Amino acid sequence: MIDVYAHIRVRVTNGIGGPALCRTRQLAASCRQESDSRISAAATSSTVNATEIAHFSRLSSLWWNEQGEFSLLHRMNPVRVRYIREKILEATCEDQGEDARRELESKCAVLTGMDVLDVGCGGGLLSESLARLGARTIGIDASESNIGIASTHASGDPQLSSSGNSLEYRHTSAEQLVKEPKRFDVVCSMEVIEHVDNPVAFLSACAQLVKPGGHLFLSTIARTPLSYFITILAGEYVLRKVAVGTHTYSKFVNPSELISFFQTYRSSPSSSSNPTDFGHIGSDVSPRPWITRTYAHGLPTRLEADVRGIVYIPWSGEWKLMPRSSTPWGAVECNYLFWVRRPLDS
Amino acid sequence: MAFFAKPRSSARLGCRRRLFLRSFSSEHARDNDIVIVGGGPAGLALAAALAANPIAKNSLKITLIEGGDLSKIQDWGMPPNAYSNRVSSITHTSQHFLNRIGIWDYVEHARTNPIHQMQVWDGVSGARINFDASVIPESSEMARMTENLNLQRALLRKLSDTPSVQVIHSVKVESIQRETGDHNDWPLVHLSNGVTLRARLLVGADGFNSPVRSFAGISSYGWSYDTQAVVATLNHAPRGPFQVPNNTAYQRFLPTGPIAFLPLSPCTSSLVWSTKPHLAAALNKSSPGVLEQLINAAFRLPEPSLQYIYRRLLEGAKSSEEINEEIVFRERSDGISSHSAYASATSMLSDGGIPPDDADALPPLVTSIQQGTIASFPLRYNHAESYIGEGAGSRTVLVGDAAHTVHPLAGQGLNLGLGDVDALSRCIIQALRHGGDIGSYTALIPYARERYFENHKVMSTVDKLHKVYSSTAQPVVWARSVGLEVINELDSVKAALMMNAGASSRLQNASGWDLFAKSIESLAGAASTSKMVSGMIGAGIQELAKNAGQRIFGRP
Repeated sequence: MIDVYAHIRVRVTNGIGGPALCRTRQLAASCRQESDSRISAAATSSTVNATEIAHFSRLSSLWWNEQGEFSLLHRMNPVRVRYIREKILEATCEDQGEDARRELESKCAVLTGMDVLDVGCGGGLLSESLARLGARTIGIDASESNIGIASTHASGDPQLSSSGNSLEYRHTSAEQLVKEPKRFDVVCSMEVIEHVDNPVAFLSACAQLVKPGGHLFLSTIARTPLSYFITILAGEYVLRKVAVGTHTYSKFVNPSELISFFQTYRSSPSSSSNPTDFGHIGSDVSPRPWITRTYAHGLPTRLEADVRGIVYIPWSGEWKLMPRSSTPWGAVECNYLFWVRRPLDS
Repeated sequence: MAFFAKPRSSARLGCRRRLFLRSFSSEHARDNDIVIVGGGPAGLALAAALAANPIAKNSLKITLIEGGDLSKIQDWGMPPNAYSNRVSSITHTSQHFLNRIGIWDYVEHARTNPIHQMQVWDGVSGARINFDASVIPESSEMARMTENLNLQRALLRKLSDTPSVQVIHSVKVESIQRETGDHNDWPLVHLSNGVTLRARLLVGADGFNSPVRSFAGISSYGWSYDTQAVVATLNHAPRGPFQVPNNTAYQRFLPTGPIAFLPLSPCTSSLVWSTKPHLAAALNKSSPGVLEQLINAAFRLPEPSLQYIYRRLLEGAKSSEEINEEIVFRERSDGISSHSAYASATSMLSDGGIPPDDADALPPLVTSIQQGTIASFPLRYNHAESYIGEGAGSRTVLVGDAAHTVHPLAGQGLNLGLGDVDALSRCIIQALRHGGDIGSYTALIPYARERYFENHKVMSTVDKLHKVYSSTAQPVVWARSVGLEVINELDSVKAALMMNAGASSRLQNASGWDLFAKSIESLAGAASTSKMVSGMIGAGIQELAKNAGQRIFGRP
């Protein structure tokens, strides 16, 4: 069992580690670590890293320049949305049958009627696509300038600014949002977890925001020599595709770590749905972990979770979603998408 | 109501001012998802392709603007034996696309003509190549000759049934400007009737001098061919019972440019004669009776004789008797029998009799030209540097002639445009499926990637063909004649070439080249073909050496 917690212990220097890190200790740890600005650290949750936020805030005005700093991210967006769409359709087929799936597929807006949260929305690249697919979208980001840019951009598009409450941006973080009662059908956190200080707390917060039966989508970078070579050496220093300091190798998260997290994570039953309504087998039985079984090669089964690599093809300038069968063969050595579903009965 | 986290107060004044500017510049501006400028076949086909797709039809608001009067085209009709002078050959690939979007059924099929064979020969050496559609696996026709107006009328009829597409005609585009504002500067199209349209995506389907292309700041690369194409609709006697029906296209490559005969019906065909500008002007202004004789002679007489006839024409011989006299003299001095198919002015063949052996190698004799169909237009090679606008020209895309113009010798111009439209419509629908902004650069890149290189290949091939056949230098003539005659023997190579040019809708370009590869393999094994090829090459080299010797050392 890969210990995600050991990974955290490396960072929490005062040694008060252990699974039950309380909020004040986390706060102290991060304040001691970051010598610069204390404002965001004190005001918002501790998983937010101030230098990362400052780095992305500086680049805010470049978010919507499709050939600039974020061109790779722009090119990745259709692939991510395609993946989300595929998974929603599969889930519809599982839950409601083939006919419902076919009907949903024939519509353009597969997310109609769903509440979607985009954690770390940045300039709103993903949020806008999700809103166009019919979802009631909320995009949150820890950087205020990013929220400003995202709002301004969305306000210029009549499709996004006219139809009611379908796209909303808020300057907050996942941990803060957990305190509010609202829960979401789909929670996305694309390219965020490799920038936070405490991935366990961050993941728990995101997972708590998911409704039972809802979906959690993550996209991040694995921590392998290949990913160091591609994203940091080649991407930042040699080819200068992204600014130096965008990625920190020690913060990359491996898919096996995510899988093992969800093999032990159980949703607390005090969230929205009430298990006592269903005739309990044992009222003190805690709900099952999100991933209950994996295959021999460590990958989860199709209905519970999925790991898919995405590869950048330099000569055609586009990202390619690798097929499921290539995952055990190393397609997830660099960028990958992770999907997991919250059990319905929790 | 939408709720956004407002930026900090220091920007509030600026925010208000920006809003004021934006509302001023977009006053009365109607929001559109797609604005198509240009109501030619490409623009109309794009609107129809998007209207035919259920996803696009329900989510996109499309407006098409055309400066001319489209109601005349929608009500266009002509008597059965009269044909318009702008015709195009629609390849199988394009037909397949038009069928898919439900347009082909609206085209009046009685006015189209399938092409089963194509005869192409060299004007200097007489080397010939014959393409026959029967070698292609699944289709019996290579292309269909269709009048452009027939196609446009079909598209307009289909669009009039589609409420989500608004067609505005007889209104010109006065100017296109970029909206002033922060990040969302959409193009604003100002029309001559005072309406302003705000476009998420602006499509330039507005022909060679595209205002959309200049708005987008896209430069183009190309040159003028110093050639004008003369078009006309020709009347001739129907083919006799001993000949193939009028489904064969003929093209002769003269040094001044190719002359093409494209069949439209048993007794009517279309002419496209690309020639030097001074000759084209003379042809255009010629009196009745002259042009028919010149056309007949241009397909039959050897090149030196034609030079004499051009000279007579340019020196001022206007009447048809003078031209007739010259042609008769030429035929006599070239020794053309009046019973051969190569005779035109001295021809003693009657219409219903048994034709001579080589009658199928030449088009029928033209008897008259339909009134008012003689026209000419200049030819250019032009390719835009990019199909998608960037920076100040973002949210624009080019299709059809606005993106590229090509020499008509291979009949590819309209087909390339329809291919562009097919690719762009699929690209837009894909972007919609992924919730993308259809005007963004990221959403449009697959279109450019799919089409730019394909178009470039076809255009440069056609350009090289034109350049090769414009030369009269003997080595070039010899090389192209040998090449042509060799390829004429290789059926599978010809099939591959036809499929690459779009004659088969099912197979992609790649399988055309598979056939080509197989044919090369079979060539390696065929002893007789290789003997023939080596024989030809050997004879040609001897001839070349002999001529070179004569020139260097004088006559032996």
